[in-house]
Amino acid sequence: MVGAGGGGRLPKSSKHYGLTALCPIKLGTAPGRNSSYEAVVRETLAGLDSHERSPMARVPNTYLARLYILKDVFYEGRSQQEHLKSQYLFFGSDFHGELEPYLRGMWENIEPEVRLIWQHCVAFGSSVNSAESFVDYIKKCQVSNTFLFNGSNDRPLAEQLKGLYLKQEFGDFVASHQGASDDELRSAFLSFAERVQVTKLDGPTWRPGAQTLESARTHS
Amino acid sequence: MSNVAGKAQALNVWTPTRRKGIENRIIFWVLPRFFKKKLRGLQTLSLIHYARWVIIAPKDFPNLGEGQPTEELRHHYECFLSNFNGNWDQYIDSFSMSLGTGLDMLWFKNVGFPNSVPIEPFHAYINANSIPTDHYYSAYPLAASNDVKAAQRVRDSLVTLAGSASGMSPKQFRQAYDDTIRKHQDDISRLDESVIVSLATEAVQNQARQEAF
Repeated sequence: MVGAGGGGRLPKSSKHYGLTALCPIKLGTAPGRNSSYEAVVRETLAGLDSHERSPMARVPNTYLARLYILKDVFYEGRSQQEHLKSQYLFFGSDFHGELEPYLRGMWENIEPEVRLIWQHCVAFGSSVNSAESFVDYIKKCQVSNTFLFNGSNDRPLAEQLKGLYLKQEFGDFVASHQGASDDELRSAFLSFAERVQVTKLDGPTWRPGAQTLESARTHS
Repeated sequence: MSNVAGKAQALNVWTPTRRKGIENRIIFWVLPRFFKKKLRGLQTLSLIHYARWVIIAPKDFPNLGEGQPTEELRHHYECFLSNFNGNWDQYIDSFSMSLGTGLDMLWFKNVGFPNSVPIEPFHAYINANSIPTDHYYSAYPLAASNDVKAAQRVRDSLVTLAGSASGMSPKQFRQAYDDTIRKHQDDISRLDESVIVSLATEAVQNQARQEAF
């Protein structure tokens, strides 16, 4: 599924939204630190937990997300060299749904981490103190996608995770019921369906961000 | 710092365009509208979860006041972000094979772009213009994009099968069950954890396991 906005205005392909934001980092040395604001932001990002403990695992409907620092533009050695005057915190997220509810969900679920990550960005401290002001802030930092590609699907994350849970469980069921009689098979499947709750999205299912089968299965 | 989240890998590439990226903007406008067949290569590639190209003009760099200097750049920059499965060499080789010279269109006349064939200079160009990710998150590190798509198909069929199983005779159920398995024989393979890419990663995983108990 491919989406590209006329003039690059649309950041969506169907219900998949690709957020691209460049948040300018303050210039100079962070108070009380012998480091630049940029170095402090980088240190903060490096200290974030990963996988199911990543703050992004608590943000509803996040498929994939990344944070990195754009320190400068690249010089190819062929034309006049140029440099950025500010460094930027790059925030990219692929998620299901619309931008504003997504960002509100982000603020509501991980406000402390949002403050920690963005505290040294220009105008964050002076303008962001609520979900709505966070939405406004990120929209000011948003840049339009020129071409957005979806090689997966755009279902809500809960459906994707439930699907993965069921795929795994059903694979096990099929493997362990080869050779069963018709009666045994139907009876076993009814028990299986009762256990996995096929239509119930909030559990049993997989935990967002889980990187081992052990930890993925514990969510129910 | 990590470009890897289980089976997903992040790529961030920034390249300067020529002539304010006008041709690139036109290409990205025209491609999905009139050359969908060309893009099927990307779809069948099946290595990509989500990807995007963003052409950024100097004026597009957000300026939020409070003394932030205005950017004074001559070039417009093309930013490419991808979430893919496998390693970079596999990805870029598959990318090149599935799109062929169509790949050249995606970085058309970017400054220093050596064209996608031969592949070594192309690898070097992408590597030289890549930025490491400081924090990368995937909601399903155990799954490739094909797994996510297959899982949805399995779920849709299981909803139907589970909804009707109790009203079927054992023989009718056997028929429906076998039909489901036949339909999804490529979809119900088991997922497993990604291979350990380094001893450091393994140590982190072991530590996380210990902390969980």
